[in-house]
Amino acid sequence: MSNVTAPMGGKIIDVKVKAGDAVNEGDEVIILEAMKMELPVVASESGTVKEVKCNSGDAVEAEAVLVVLE
Amino acid sequence: MEIEAKIKELEKRNREAELGGGQKRIDQQHAKGKMTARERLDYLLDKGSFQEIDKFVVHRCHDFGMEKKKIAGDGVVTGHGTINGRPVFLFSQDFTVFGGSLSGMFSQKICKVMDLALKNGTPMIGLNDSGGARIQEGVESLGGYGEIFKRNVWSSGVIPQISVIMGPCAGGAVYSPALTDFIIMVKKTSNMFITGPQVIKEVTFEEVTAEELGGAMSHNRRSGVAHFAEDSDQAALDRVKELLGYLPQNFREKTPPIECTDDQDRTDKSLNEVVPTNPRLPYDMKEIIRKVLDNNQFLEVHKYYANNMVVGFGRLNGLAVGIIANQPKFLAGCLDINASMKCARFVRTCDSFNIPLVTFVDVPGYLPGVNQEYGGIIKHGAKIIYSYCEATVPKITIVTRKAYGGAYLAMSCKHFDGDTNYAYPTAEIAVMGPDGAANIIFRKEIADSDDPDATRARLIEEYRNNFASPFKAAELGYIDDIIFPENTRPRLINALMTLQNKRATIPKRRHGNTPL
Repeated sequence: MSNVTAPMGGKIIDVKVKAGDAVNEGDEVIILEAMKMELPVVASESGTVKEVKCNSGDAVEAEAVLVVLE
Repeated sequence: MEIEAKIKELEKRNREAELGGGQKRIDQQHAKGKMTARERLDYLLDKGSFQEIDKFVVHRCHDFGMEKKKIAGDGVVTGHGTINGRPVFLFSQDFTVFGGSLSGMFSQKICKVMDLALKNGTPMIGLNDSGGARIQEGVESLGGYGEIFKRNVWSSGVIPQISVIMGPCAGGAVYSPALTDFIIMVKKTSNMFITGPQVIKEVTFEEVTAEELGGAMSHNRRSGVAHFAEDSDQAALDRVKELLGYLPQNFREKTPPIECTDDQDRTDKSLNEVVPTNPRLPYDMKEIIRKVLDNNQFLEVHKYYANNMVVGFGRLNGLAVGIIANQPKFLAGCLDINASMKCARFVRTCDSFNIPLVTFVDVPGYLPGVNQEYGGIIKHGAKIIYSYCEATVPKITIVTRKAYGGAYLAMSCKHFDGDTNYAYPTAEIAVMGPDGAANIIFRKEIADSDDPDATRARLIEEYRNNFASPFKAAELGYIDDIIFPENTRPRLINALMTLQNKRATIPKRRHGNTPL
């Protein structure tokens, strides 16, 4: 199991997956706004989304768990 | 003794020395997926070029029964040979002999080749596979490390020094590689740490495996101690050959050029589309780098570390160049502590060895944050400025998009004696981004207006149109020309060829006081 974490502090502007979705390594799962940029956050491994721990509009800190994969 | 007998004796002694710690230990080495010290040298060097030195050296320890255990060579194979025709000196530690542990004589063998490499202006390559100090020899072993470290420092910036970690490298032993220019680690079979998992457990009660603590990926991804991680001994040695191709023999020389098989006038329409016009959208800077280099070949250094900064080697018209670039795709390409150290170290490596610098800029600024400030981003960020100002090799810069504030200055600006500074039409070079600037300049106007939000939006847009462009910088001569992205390769090659005979100096002193 691996988690998708925020690479830096910022605001969630798009959540592209929901629980149960299959994702492949490298898929964009979250779009994070930081440093005035829309940064794709990608899955580091393939798996199934177990839980999405953030919503659009949330402010998150660096390293925060955004999506739990299994 | 007859001559035949003398020759037979020499042959016998040669065979014994070449067998190192014996067949059983050689088999154990192979079982771990590792090559032996001699197999590594054979693989790395041009066929038949290896000339061994000090094959019959033995240790001089008379304690703990060591006087009865002597193996010719004493655990390290040293000598010289050629790689693609270029001479190199090397040592290769032999784990089959006393676990590759370092004795006084072992150190003396290494120091002999290091001295020869330094005097002859020849690269020094160290293949590390050692259990550490030879405890039976006590402080003599420690002294041996000290002699090696001193030579690493004295050779620094004179000859390229490359370290390959192909087994354990623990305790004081790690500092020799750390003082060299590049560290290449083999995945799974190598590790580096000051104190191992056992000591950590005893002292701080933390539990960690050797691989997690000091494996190849730990040092490539997290600590930044290592520059390359390779899958096997062979792959690591192939990397040495490739890397050496971009380096000169010593600081007095330039990297040997190779024949360019790529078109030096090659333009590329697709480059016009790489940088999105929407400044909020990221893109992959490595796409630009690959498209402009000879045969699209880019040797990335520190590939896994601080991905918001990209550094590595390539060639333009057959000449070696060092590439430094912000990566908008990762952390928006901002400068943080790790990216600053990565960039500054690479710039200094290139400047030491006459390798011209080509910098691609798309940087929104330094990363704001408490952790960054407490971690010393001021002193670490200063390293980038220091290294670019100090560098006297040709410096070519292309601003592809953002160059804001202090980060504009840090990334090889005109004011640091940049030789050629170009910008794409998509460049935004200004003291700060439009949002922030408009809020400060027009604070009163926005506050006093009937509809502050609409006024703010209008003023931000006005600022963007007037100032978030390359033209203000070009009007002042800070940017030499605004170029069409499709022409990047020919323009870079033209600049590089024009700067081939650059001579520049900075004030002489004992040595500068780089922020550390």
